[in-house]
Amino acid sequence: MNDTQQSISGSEAVTNASLDGEAPEKGPVFKQPKERFLGLRGSVDRTQSMALGLLGVVAFFVAWEVAHILTPENQQKFLPSVGQVVGKITYLFAEKGYVADVAKSVYRIYVSFFFACLFAVPLGLFMGSFVKLRALINPTVGGLRYLPAASFVPLLLVYFGPTDFAKLALLFLGCVFFLTALILDNVEAVPKELVESAQTMGAGRWHIVFKVTFRSAAPQILDSMRNMIAVSWTYLVIAEIVAATDGIGAVMMRGARFLHVDIIMGGILTIGVLGVLTDISFRIAGHFLFPYMRVRR
Amino acid sequence: MAILADNTETLQQTANEQGAVPGEPPLRADRVTKEYLNGARVALDNISIDIKENQITALIGPSGCGKTTLLRLMAGLEYPTYGNVMVYGEPVLGPGPERGMVFQAYTSFPWLTVRENVQHGMEIQGVSKDEQRDKADHFLKLVHLDEFANAYPAELSGGMKQRVAIARTLAQGPQLLLLDEPFGALDAQVTWEMEEMAVDIIERESKTVVLVTHDIQEAIYLADRILFFTRQPGKIKADMPMEFKKGRRFAKKEDLLVEPGYVEMEKRLYTMMREEIQGRIG
Repeated sequence: MNDTQQSISGSEAVTNASLDGEAPEKGPVFKQPKERFLGLRGSVDRTQSMALGLLGVVAFFVAWEVAHILTPENQQKFLPSVGQVVGKITYLFAEKGYVADVAKSVYRIYVSFFFACLFAVPLGLFMGSFVKLRALINPTVGGLRYLPAASFVPLLLVYFGPTDFAKLALLFLGCVFFLTALILDNVEAVPKELVESAQTMGAGRWHIVFKVTFRSAAPQILDSMRNMIAVSWTYLVIAEIVAATDGIGAVMMRGARFLHVDIIMGGILTIGVLGVLTDISFRIAGHFLFPYMRVRR
Repeated sequence: MAILADNTETLQQTANEQGAVPGEPPLRADRVTKEYLNGARVALDNISIDIKENQITALIGPSGCGKTTLLRLMAGLEYPTYGNVMVYGEPVLGPGPERGMVFQAYTSFPWLTVRENVQHGMEIQGVSKDEQRDKADHFLKLVHLDEFANAYPAELSGGMKQRVAIARTLAQGPQLLLLDEPFGALDAQVTWEMEEMAVDIIERESKTVVLVTHDIQEAIYLADRILFFTRQPGKIKADMPMEFKKGRRFAKKEDLLVEPGYVEMEKRLYTMMREEIQGRIG
């Protein structure tokens, strides 16, 4: 009984205090439990994320350097140090006109990929929009994905000789069927309700295909392109092996002939950096093409 | 304002020219049966109803009773297996802008701003830019979204997204409004606000409305007439005009609750719902 009364009068006191304008004292600062590094779905801010990313890159090069140091001296030319490789790249740029090779490779990637998109985007869009077209084409295109692109090399050589066109064709074949399949998936993932609501607004077929389905799937289509152009970069060396005179792959093959591992690794590193830059440029494009993807409540 | 009034007139004229046959109901289901899986599942079993002009008709019933199927047949998004759905006497052969539909899922186009979404239907119909702007202004004001005209749907709450959908559907100038559980994804308080807004809007725009819902209170509050559906096969169990409302619509939901006859109606609907789901839970 006494207890109850006390607590009642206690709560009255608090109420009165706040009514009088004397704000009750805040509780003590809450001490959050320490966050683990591997906390499930833990938080990571921008700076932290950049720092961790950089740490990963640095760790990779440190591991490489350590491996080089641990290699017996007479074998070290098979695993040159980071410095040697970077030095070689600088030398290639300065003395060997490497810029032209890099430019040629970039040109091959982007031109072949442009044509792959020109083929895959409409095909994926139409297959995803018209069921009968899908039934007609998809089994073929789906099957073609399983043909190893490298096996086209001799065929393309017979058809087109050691031309630039043969290389573009190989890069095109390496990604076009996968790209079509991915875009078909993107188009089919467009919510049915968006299409139906457009229909109830009186939209015709082509309006729905281009102004609803395509617009809706566009951010995901760009993502698929970003992923597939990465695959395209991985085919570059295969494309440039064959009777190549220029391009990063050709430089690497020449290096291999004389056991210049530093040149081969320099080429690998160059492709890696170009790949990352390509990825970033696609992300930036997405950032500006789809401003609505950035907004949040 | 004068421009707006003019537009409405033109719209009604076209509506009449487009085949509003005198004496024909805005919407009629004539012996409609809808089967799925080659008849293994009967969603609608020989339904015949007339929807009356300027009335709000609610289709209500347990889950899986075919009420949404009937609405989709009315919209022309699906076809009946037997019978016909007719708009002013013309059989429905596909979707059309004269039958505006609001879906339960959010259907605003995320790549368009609120204003562009509202104008989209008019754009499809080739309405002039000036008219698009004026009408969008009008309907955005009607759903209290004029301040959000330039926002993207991703910046809006669920209730606001549905208001965009309502404004967009009204802006296309439909003769009929088909609402498929439009507030089904919203929380209770927002649903309540939206219901009151819907009454206000339908009253102002005087539309013929078919509303699918599973919410008994919502049906009584909004509807002038309730059609109760049985579960599989879907048939009409009861056709109930809301006589106790005496032709009135209530701006505030709580005013309806104290109206004589309300409690009886609610009890009747709960009883019917229980009969339908009896022994089928779990």
